[in-house]
Amino acid sequence: MYILRMIFKELWHRKINFLLAVLAVTTAVAFLVAFFTASQASERETARLMLSMGYNLHIIAKDADIGGFLMTGIPDKTMPEAYLQKLAAQNSISYNHLLALLEGKTQYRGMDILLTGLAPEVCPPGQQKQAMTFSVAPGTAYVGYRLAEGLAIHKGDIIDLGGRKLKVERCLAESGGLDDMRLQCSLQDAQAILGLPGRISAIQAVDCLCFEKGDPVAMLRKEIGSILPEAQVFQVKALASARAKQRQMIRNIFAVMLPFVITACGVWIGVLAIMNVRDRKPEIGLLRALGYNTANVMLLFLGKALLVGLLGAAAGFLLGTELGLQFGPGVFEITAKTMLRPELSLFVRACILAPLFAVVASFIPTIIAVTYDPATTLREE
Amino acid sequence: MLILQDLTKTYRTRAGEVKALDGVSLQIDQGAFAAVCGPSGSGKTTLLMMIAAMLRPSGGMVRFEDRDVYEMTGPARARFRAEKIGFVFQMFHLVPYLTVLENVLLAAAVVRKRDGRAQAQELLQRLGLQHRLGHRPSELSAGEKQRTAIARALLNQPKLILADEPTGNLDPENARCVLRHLQDFQRDGGTVIVATHGPAAQEFATRTISLREGRLA
Repeated sequence: MYILRMIFKELWHRKINFLLAVLAVTTAVAFLVAFFTASQASERETARLMLSMGYNLHIIAKDADIGGFLMTGIPDKTMPEAYLQKLAAQNSISYNHLLALLEGKTQYRGMDILLTGLAPEVCPPGQQKQAMTFSVAPGTAYVGYRLAEGLAIHKGDIIDLGGRKLKVERCLAESGGLDDMRLQCSLQDAQAILGLPGRISAIQAVDCLCFEKGDPVAMLRKEIGSILPEAQVFQVKALASARAKQRQMIRNIFAVMLPFVITACGVWIGVLAIMNVRDRKPEIGLLRALGYNTANVMLLFLGKALLVGLLGAAAGFLLGTELGLQFGPGVFEITAKTMLRPELSLFVRACILAPLFAVVASFIPTIIAVTYDPATTLREE
Repeated sequence: MLILQDLTKTYRTRAGEVKALDGVSLQIDQGAFAAVCGPSGSGKTTLLMMIAAMLRPSGGMVRFEDRDVYEMTGPARARFRAEKIGFVFQMFHLVPYLTVLENVLLAAAVVRKRDGRAQAQELLQRLGLQHRLGHRPSELSAGEKQRTAIARALLNQPKLILADEPTGNLDPENARCVLRHLQDFQRDGGTVIVATHGPAAQEFATRTISLREGRLA
């Protein structure tokens, strides 16, 4: 109890030393928090961009014509719908957001259309995430812009396609691509209309191999090939590499800066602690003369470091969050500021790690303090 | 009460070995006021530090109340110092960020004395510092600082007070005042050993021990 009182009184007495030590911890914590806050926002934005860009992984039947698929985007062969459940049931896999679809050309009121049946998106066990695309309820349809314009289809209309009645739920905005000629419905409806019950033409997914070394396509093919030997895998490289590049950039910056900042701040705290120990040599000698043992003296210095760490963690979290919110968009090229938000989980981590960091940085000076010979120290004065 | 037997302390320096104490043997009885006299470098402080169980001798033995203090473990020696010995230093050694009362209580905290605060206040009143309880050392005169140090030395009711040049930084009036307080402790049955190279302490001493170049003169 008395030691704690001494710690607080000493902090107040040597304010400059204390404030400089807190500043060191604050700097380290603020750097980490600002970086994490901005990088998390960057990842969220990347995910959002990916969402708008679509899935980067396509799994199609092994016997499908690759040339035709690459030219049209529609495989000429189908595969069992059960493949989706088989993939989704895997643990520890490198892909997510599994979407099964069945696509085929058909005609409606004399116009060629692309019919796409969508199953609800599924995720592997333990990797539940918000769906990247909408799902279409059975008996309803989403109509592409050109189709709706050309055939005067409006929301609420009933479309009779292959004997199946679909209520138009939405007419989509112009995309300038194949989606404008697409009529999207549930997988069951598409299977019935195209006469392919229990079949799908592709499974789309998002891969999660951004940090892995080596060829991600080869790794995915190996992984998926072992689960679905009757399927082949294609990765849309532009999407995948853009995503990987951004994450790798963040990782590289962090890997270079982190050791530098941590070392600099650790040395800073250590030097301040050594100065503090030197200033307090007579005090240490006196305490030893009065009968205070090694543990008491260590507690005096490490307790101070603990307090410095806690205060630095709180101040660093606030400062780092503010810096992340202010400057993160510029550094990480985040365009949507709504993606930026305080990362409260970092506060808990900072409150555990920063005191530990301060204690480690002060450990050698503390050992110096406890090894001072009180007889020599008291005689020097 | 205190027996020193053939005490030797040798320091190794770049210039070679230096003998700070060389075969000092003496006995100091309870209730004595001993003045250890000698010029600077004669080994007075070294002798006090050895008696205080803070400096292990190169040879010889220190027995206090029939116990060899250097046969005790480190924590036991620390406990021994806290309970049996009070210190008064030339430079006062008050903790600058603690008040007068807190400085005195430093001694009580280590032995977890229950009524320490009340006793500390009573002691400080006896030493004429009742109006200075909440003051910092920087706000005190040299005499007041030394009286605070004496209160700290007395708080745990030690058997022995070791004072290293306690009047070295004081004017004659304050020096006599400090020595009178040490004499009061001695008259109450305590033992005082004062290292000094001035004549003032010798007036109060019941025994004078002279040291020259680490030997009893």
